[in-house]
Amino acid sequence: MNAWIRTHRHALADALRRLAAQPGASLVAVFVIAIAVAIPVLGVALVRSVDAAVGGLDTDPHVNVFLTLDATEDDAKRVEAALRAHPQSAAVKFVPRAKALEELKATTHLAELLANLERNPLPHAFTVRTRTADPAQLAAVRTAWLQLPRVEQVSAEFEWAEKLGRWTRFAGRALAGGALLLALAVLFIVGHLIRLQVVTRREEIEVSQLIGATAGDVRRPFLYHGALQGLAAGGCALALAAGLIVWLNAELSALTSSYAYEFKIVFLDSSTLLAVLLGTALLGWVGAWISVSRELRRFAGRS
Amino acid sequence: MIQFSAVAKRYPTGYEALRDVSFEVAEGELVVVTGHSGAGKSTLLKLAAGIERATRGSVIVNGQNLSSLGETALAVLRRHIGFVFQDHKLLFDRSAGENVALPLRIAGTASDETGRRVRAALDKVGLLAREKALPITLSGGEQQRLCIARAIVNRPAILVADEPTGNLDAESSRSILELFLSFHRVGVTVLLSTHDESSLALLGGRRLALRGGLVESADRAGEAVPG
Ligand SMILES: Nc1ncnc2c1ncn2[C@@H]1O[C@H](COP(=O)(O)OP(=O)(O)OP(=O)(O)O)[C@@H](O)[C@H]1O
Ligand SMILES: [Mg+2]
Repeated sequence: MNAWIRTHRHALADALRRLAAQPGASLVAVFVIAIAVAIPVLGVALVRSVDAAVGGLDTDPHVNVFLTLDATEDDAKRVEAALRAHPQSAAVKFVPRAKALEELKATTHLAELLANLERNPLPHAFTVRTRTADPAQLAAVRTAWLQLPRVEQVSAEFEWAEKLGRWTRFAGRALAGGALLLALAVLFIVGHLIRLQVVTRREEIEVSQLIGATAGDVRRPFLYHGALQGLAAGGCALALAAGLIVWLNAELSALTSSYAYEFKIVFLDSSTLLAVLLGTALLGWVGAWISVSRELRRFAGRS
Repeated sequence: MIQFSAVAKRYPTGYEALRDVSFEVAEGELVVVTGHSGAGKSTLLKLAAGIERATRGSVIVNGQNLSSLGETALAVLRRHIGFVFQDHKLLFDRSAGENVALPLRIAGTASDETGRRVRAALDKVGLLAREKALPITLSGGEQQRLCIARAIVNRPAILVADEPTGNLDAESSRSILELFLSFHRVGVTVLLSTHDESSLALLGGRRLALRGGLVESADRAGEAVPG
């Protein structure tokens, strides 16, 4: 084993010893950082879950055209021809009433209820992709299509899905901004804690420098200290967030089980978990670096 | 080995502790720096060991001009020069052995090798039995010896000692100076300061007398001090 590896091992051992020497203070520090990290972690899980749910919804501009219940296949063919001929329609998909019922049974919890029905309550329908998403133009399209024979209802329901999509994008951005601020807060917390360490070890640092320690040698144990603190806080934050999500999901399932749609917060995937751990360790490292460098400059200024 | 040419040192306070100092120490030589308090002895030794930087002139140690070295290179150079500080610079929350081990830890020496060298250094200064003792429990003379053990643990080719007999009684002073003589005899270059004439007599070696930041008198190389 060469000297370089040994100096790193010494630094790591030194950092662990320092953390263990003040278990209470170390725990409090880790917990404070963990709370700052847990908030955006929870936010990310929430936004991603909503995003995934919205992803299942159709947010491209489209219009649903429902025929009357007594409309026949032939009626549907005539309406389809008219829809296709319209300059604003990009694609027309026919959804026969039987298929619509099957889909409803498959995607919701209403199967039992639907099975008890004597006849299919759903009409033939079309999903028409439009060339425009402009509300005024869509309104015109709607009025035009309502005039077609056997057309009962024309709805542009994608609008709310699109709005929800916009909201989740907005939430994602707000979250990124918030996460950045909290990352800064973590930098400050770690920096402050490391600064206290540096100040209490000032004599040792000065003597070490006198007998040949480089700035890197002096920094090394503090960098490990900061990184370990960050790593522990990251792990603690993930545990906190996971616990909260389990608890929230229990509430959510009680809340949504009566609805057709079930919503659940999904915890982060493994690569994001790893990124959180590496990120907090890195924040600790950087916070320590800034703090030690500043203190070393102050020492140098005084001597 | 050590070469000062027209060296001046002005501290940030503006005080010029060395004004124009030139001298040379050959490899294996023992040179004693004398002068009244405030003459600039400590400053000169710190410049020679790369602890302070010259404001003017050049300090060349082992063929390296110290003013051309960056902070990191200068720190690495310090590892190869043993320095006995006037105020000891011991860590009072560490055992004697840990204090001596500090330079080896910095250099990343293996732990079994560290243990061996620490014990050898403590043995040389007669403190082997006090390896586990805290410095506060050591006498002034013993603390001085501990400081010497830390300075020699890296087996430096140059040993610099700033008034190593400072506040010691005649008997302790004598045994400490004997130590330096023994290092000198095995080829270590020794640069040592003192304000005490009796030390000077005991050490022999070449003398460099400072006064007010200037060289007052200097024996030429190879010239022994009379008396
Ligand atoms: N870090 C410093 N900042 C400012 N002035 C300093 C500094 N170190 C020393 N001096 C000044 O430089 C002058 C020479 O100091 P130095 O310590 O070299 O003297 P010395 O010969 O070792 O004295 P002593 O025998 O008392 O140890 C003194 O007047 C001192 O006040
Ligand atoms: Mg002095």
